Amino acid sequence: MEMENSAVTQDGIATVLSNGSVDSSSVRPQIVVQVVDLKAVGNRYTFSANDGKTKIKAMLPASLTSDIISGKIQSLGLIRLLDYTVNDIPGKSEEKYMLITKCEAVASALDSEIKSDFKASTGIVLKPKQEFLAKSASQIINEQRGNAAPAARMAMTRRVHPLVSLNPYQGSWTIKVRVTNKGVMRTYNNARGEGCVFNVELTDEEGTQIQATMFNAAAKKFYDRFEQGKVYYISRGSLKLANKQFKTVQNDYEMTLNENSEVEEASNEEMFTPEIKFNFVPIDELGTYVNQKDLIDVIGVVQSVSPTMSIRRKNDNEMIPKRDITLADETKKTVVVSLWNDLATGIGQELLDMADNHPVIAIKSLKVGDFQGVSLSTISRSSVVINPDSPEATKLKSWYDSEGKETSMSTIGSGMSSSANNGSRSMYSDRVSLSHINSNPSLGEEKPVFFSTRAYISFIKPDQTMWYRACKTCNKKVTEAMDSGYWCEGCQKKDQECSLRYIMAVKVSDSMGETWFSAFNDEAEKIIGCTADELNILKSEEGEVNEFQTKLKEATWSSHLFRISVSQQEYNGEKRQRTTVRGVSPIDFAAETRLLLQDISKNKTSQ
Amino acid sequence: MDTSSPSAFVNGALLRRYIGQKVRTVIQVIGSDTGSVVGKSTDDLQIVVRGSSPPNPLTTYLEVIGIAESDNSIRAETWTNFGNSFDPQNFNELCKLANGEFKHMFI
Repeated sequence: MEMENSAVTQDGIATVLSNGSVDSSSVRPQIVVQVVDLKAVGNRYTFSANDGKTKIKAMLPASLTSDIISGKIQSLGLIRLLDYTVNDIPGKSEEKYMLITKCEAVASALDSEIKSDFKASTGIVLKPKQEFLAKSASQIINEQRGNAAPAARMAMTRRVHPLVSLNPYQGSWTIKVRVTNKGVMRTYNNARGEGCVFNVELTDEEGTQIQATMFNAAAKKFYDRFEQGKVYYISRGSLKLANKQFKTVQNDYEMTLNENSEVEEASNEEMFTPEIKFNFVPIDELGTYVNQKDLIDVIGVVQSVSPTMSIRRKNDNEMIPKRDITLADETKKTVVVSLWNDLATGIGQELLDMADNHPVIAIKSLKVGDFQGVSLSTISRSSVVINPDSPEATKLKSWYDSEGKETSMSTIGSGMSSSANNGSRSMYSDRVSLSHINSNPSLGEEKPVFFSTRAYISFIKPDQTMWYRACKTCNKKVTEAMDSGYWCEGCQKKDQECSLRYIMAVKVSDSMGETWFSAFNDEAEKIIGCTADELNILKSEEGEVNEFQTKLKEATWSSHLFRISVSQQEYNGEKRQRTTVRGVSPIDFAAETRLLLQDISKNKTSQ
Repeated sequence: MDTSSPSAFVNGALLRRYIGQKVRTVIQVIGSDTGSVVGKSTDDLQIVVRGSSPPNPLTTYLEVIGIAESDNSIRAETWTNFGNSFDPQNFNELCKLANGEFKHMFI
């Protein structure tokens, strides 16, 4: 019989592979293949399906075995594939085989295996032919974006760098950022002349922020171009280390743009706005932030919402709206947050409507004031999120629902101004290190600020006036009476005896610094380990060993937890910072270790 | 301070990293026999400590410094009673930090 190559479907195997499985109901080309290497495996037959160019393993169903035995389907014969599936050979995912469920004989055995002039490959699966022509990248760009704005084309071809990768030593970069805050244009007049300046806060898709400043010509050039909330491509700016004093965003660097910098608005382009990155401060730790420059974030359950109040602004007499929200958190402390302007009328109204549900709110960038001890205020850049989708919010809500709403809580402010401070209760709130006191010389300017701290007594000057003569009744200072005894002005009486009460200065040290504390009687007693009267006796004793010095030595390099208040006192017309000990407690090492572990993990997450 | 033979802070899980080397750990004593003490590590795994002179009597917590013999046993060189109140969680965190990101600050 003449070899009829045309009887076998050209590139039939390739078509089989690219079209996948077929059944007789689908309108697909019915492929004719040659049966090669027909052999029995159990009660079924396998073969290689040959299209003259390629071969693929195939399996016939047991139902067709009789056709094979009867000679209808013959080895080297042709069959038309009517119904089949294409599967991976188990264990050899590169190779496929056809499981034929329906076919019909087309021709009986040919003389030989049909081969084309090209070398037929057996058992190797060819990739299906490409249905489309490959296009070059620039072709695609031009077709799709031929008429797009320059910025869009720039996006396709320009590599955008994450803000976190920028440094002063890498010159060419492009960033894609949203202006999350735009400052006002300020004019200045200094030794170098006049000028104007403004800055913008930029945030990229990863949430990294950086401040960019523009002076004079650059300021004028870009002031109108930058709009809050819009997205821009920026390049050719310069970076330098951020001035810590004026830092408002978390970035070691700050950016300066000059007239040669490039700022292109990314119009019509979506930019994923990252979730606001919060760094929550628990309510009971707010004390350390009072009157500080730092802006803080809080999260808490809304206990109550006030109606809108109108407050007259001091500088221009304008009336602005304010609303107070009381927040509570798991530290069982509450704090009042004042929402101002749009936040008071907008989201503030929403909160009033849902106040009975006690939602959880998270607020970013709050100023910490000392009204009623501790007060939080929003500023223009503050943002409020109601019921944020975060684990902290879920935890808070379930705490509130299970125990929080029944618990009576105290406001964080009340711990601040009370002078009858129970030392042990507040040894873990408002914890600071000594450097905090030294680095803020104006602490406690208006009202005393309270903290707790853990420190060592490092020095007690032996030749200071350590005590005063005190009335046994009222503890006030007594004066020596003319004859004998002591006169108390307060009690208006004379007593033969008086008691000595401590009033001493001690130097304290911790890992961050050292400073002087003033300690009065009850606290000094805990530091020295004996009463002033007893110490006085030791001082006047004579002998080999100076027991007085020993007592002081023993007190030195002992560590304690201190509750302290920092205030400003006038001294010879000068204002001086004075730190007074309000309570002394022994150290609970396990609790302190837990605090250190918390600190370590806090430092990690804020990096 | 003799730093000639430093020991690594380990808990139950970290012990296997130092087999053959000197380690130190604190265990909660579960039982003792002649020459060995069985304890619970700060991460709740069982550790057996073998040695010649454990303190007698033993307090609830025991610090052991010695050579790690397997992933759950130590041959003790020094035993120290650590008393009955000890915070195992704090110690466990210390072990994790000392073997993790702050490893460079330890041996």
